[in-house]
Amino acid sequence: MASQLEKPHTSDRSERIGSATAAELADPGWAWAAYEPDARRPWNLALAGHVYRRAAFGTGWEQLHQALLDGPQRTVDKLLRPQADVEAFNRRCDESESIVAGSLDGLRAWWLRRMMETPHPLLEKMTLFWHSHFATNGDAVDNARWMQEHNQLLRSHALGSFNSLLQAISRDLAVLQWLGADTNHKAAPNDSFVRPLMETFTLGPGHFAEDDVRDAARAFTGWFVLRGQLRYLPQEHDETVKHILGREGNFTADDVVRIVLEQPATAHMVVRKLYRWLISETEEPSEMLIAPLAGSFARDYDVSRLVETMLRSNLFLSQQSYRQRVKCPVEFALGVVNALEGMVSATQLAQDVAGLGQDLCRPPTVKGWTGGRYWINTATLVGRHNLASAILQTGKPYDGKLDPWTVAQKHGCGAPESAARFLLELLLQSDLDPDVGDALVQDVRTPKTDSDDGPGATLRRLVYTVVTLPEYQLA
Amino acid sequence: MSHTRRDFLRAALGTSTLMSLGSVAPDWLIRSAPAALQRGDRETVLVVLQLTGGNDGLNTVVPYTDDEYARNRPTLCLPTGELHKIDSLLGFHPRMEAFLRLYKDGYLSIVQGVGCPNPDQDHDRAMRMWHAADPRGLKWQTGWLGRVVDRAWSPAAPDTAAVFVGPIARPFALNAEKVVVPSIDSVENMVVRQHVGWAVPTIHGPGNALLQFLRQSDSGARAKSERVEAVVRGANGSADYPRSGLARDLRTVAQLVRADIGIRIFFTELGGGGIGGFDNHANQLGNHCALLHQLAESVAAFIYDLKRDKQLDRVLLMTFSEFGRTVKENGRRGTDHGAAAPMFLAGGRVGGGLVGPHPSLTDLDKGALKMHTDFRKVYATVLDRWLGFESAAVLGGRFESLDILEA
Repeated sequence: MASQLEKPHTSDRSERIGSATAAELADPGWAWAAYEPDARRPWNLALAGHVYRRAAFGTGWEQLHQALLDGPQRTVDKLLRPQADVEAFNRRCDESESIVAGSLDGLRAWWLRRMMETPHPLLEKMTLFWHSHFATNGDAVDNARWMQEHNQLLRSHALGSFNSLLQAISRDLAVLQWLGADTNHKAAPNDSFVRPLMETFTLGPGHFAEDDVRDAARAFTGWFVLRGQLRYLPQEHDETVKHILGREGNFTADDVVRIVLEQPATAHMVVRKLYRWLISETEEPSEMLIAPLAGSFARDYDVSRLVETMLRSNLFLSQQSYRQRVKCPVEFALGVVNALEGMVSATQLAQDVAGLGQDLCRPPTVKGWTGGRYWINTATLVGRHNLASAILQTGKPYDGKLDPWTVAQKHGCGAPESAARFLLELLLQSDLDPDVGDALVQDVRTPKTDSDDGPGATLRRLVYTVVTLPEYQLA
Repeated sequence: MSHTRRDFLRAALGTSTLMSLGSVAPDWLIRSAPAALQRGDRETVLVVLQLTGGNDGLNTVVPYTDDEYARNRPTLCLPTGELHKIDSLLGFHPRMEAFLRLYKDGYLSIVQGVGCPNPDQDHDRAMRMWHAADPRGLKWQTGWLGRVVDRAWSPAAPDTAAVFVGPIARPFALNAEKVVVPSIDSVENMVVRQHVGWAVPTIHGPGNALLQFLRQSDSGARAKSERVEAVVRGANGSADYPRSGLARDLRTVAQLVRADIGIRIFFTELGGGGIGGFDNHANQLGNHCALLHQLAESVAAFIYDLKRDKQLDRVLLMTFSEFGRTVKENGRRGTDHGAAAPMFLAGGRVGGGLVGPHPSLTDLDKGALKMHTDFRKVYATVLDRWLGFESAAVLGGRFESLDILEA
């Protein structure tokens, strides 16, 4: 491994990740075909880091290095279907959930810890995706148990069927309570659920009319949240004919879900959103690029297959995707923790990522977190600096659980300088201006601080500098 | 003129330059735009101060000559001799001496009889109306100031345009759909704590547009952090503030105003979380005294601090509460949820004086004072005529500005 670190850094990013031609990138056949490394577009550490940033929350050196040996397709296999005993982990997690019941802050910490420890990070990554898609604010729900069930619901369908997920969402207590859809009298149809259903969860603006919302609300009449339970009161259901999205019939709530799923706009909407989450948020993909995935997705709404297609694709492993997202606060924080193989207080971390704008279980609106450049402003950038500083310090509140020098030594680095190069590879795959990289390493070699500082402190400072670089904020 | 200012104006007017304002722009904008240019990047700042729980406006600005006042308030009636007389009809609460000084100095306006056209006596619903700026209440997922921030956001200058300063959960008024609006409890939250010990090279090397955006934002954030640090280090920050939570928060606001880092909107709070300290259904007198004293002393310290530092002309502080209280006390030496109440505006360019008449103490609605000024008119005024931001888009309709600010 040491020899690998001695290799000179390549400055040209496009060279590091190979370069696809514009014609290739625009061709759906090429874009969505499985990536096979060749001399022009080699598989390397930069791409392995990319895969783990997008399909997980970053990772440690061992997995990164293993990915290099495994190649892209086997790496994606492992992310989709981990070999570890996921069942046992899930059982353990689910059992510990009773501890947090009753508090939203407990729930968000429990979830963040699950993200840190899980052998199946892609599942949590997709649970986070759906959390932002079906964005439900626990403060408004005011029932931590329901929020917990909501979170489990998202997880149990996260890589399953969007059809089943949507059905479950339409019956979910937390969602109905949050949207104010807990009463649906025949005499006063309530559009609080069906409006976001059409506008945000499925079709998107412009793909439905006000009349569709009105009649869908009538189809939902009869459903109530009563004494903590979802109840159907047949006498409150409007039994007359409704017209929804060109269909006519005496529709029920389930029919509405079925009808919106029959609309091609739904699959397009979800595919575009997932594209933004997994591939790129800088460029709106062309309709030509989206169409084949949307067509395939609409057939059975299999989320897993859609995710798999994206993760294996040429497009995902091209410059079109590489560093084309801003890390959300959770990705930023867990990226540091996972790279340094540490375990930190999830309660504290959940609070700190909330301060950066991502309060788990409390998304700002039903539209979830917009993210991208919106994560960034003066206060949140200062906040990223200060969180990085706190998490790498030896004192409170994180108690110095992350130790870059120990991690570097574990992976064969005997001197601070090689450790510095190792950490640059680990955290950034040396994906920065080589002069800057050299300056950082040089600085470790000749520390400016007191002599009793030692490599431990020096390397903590180095990591702090690296993870607060603009480069590190890109996923 | 800085980016933010331009963007606010652009968002306000839908034009790309001030030159093309023509006759559609309010006079204020045309007159003050050159002034803003002369002041460099010093921009107007709005400080919203929430009085949580429903402040008893009647015992804050007291109509002491109105017989109905004494008649309805057998135990809560404040002794005329102790009031700080504004004129022959009205006086400030005995513990609000500092407000009389502000008033006499022309730094305080009292907008009387402000309220919601659809008054609601439930704390949460009433507060939501004020936060959402919608008397029909609950359809909004965003607060009025959150909507301002969303619309004013520009990737060219990702300043933090609004912050909540205080110890409670961030009020809904600041809830934005897209932009992250931070809560801070001290200036430390705006300062990079750990310096790297060496200069990180400012890189303009290769990289995609997103990286360029982050580089620019990051160097901007570092520079602003240094400005805040300089203010904290400087002697300017040591003005006399009383020892209270609100004073501490307003001092934080003053420091950030001084640092001039692009924050246009500050939100602070008095009364605490939950239902709030102003909700005095029983034994109101002592508690209300303490809160009003804290309010008056803290705001005065803030205003004179900024005055000394020649910052006051660009700052406007506005108070509000979710409702006033019933005219008649309730038999438990307290008052119940009411409706209309006064709002205070403080700053270097408020007109000063009283705005609008005191509401009648006999023409009531469910025992509460009736409003004559829709609170959204006050919002529209501070948006259109102070921040220079088109209010109609935020308020979901056009509201006439009040003539309460100096040009």
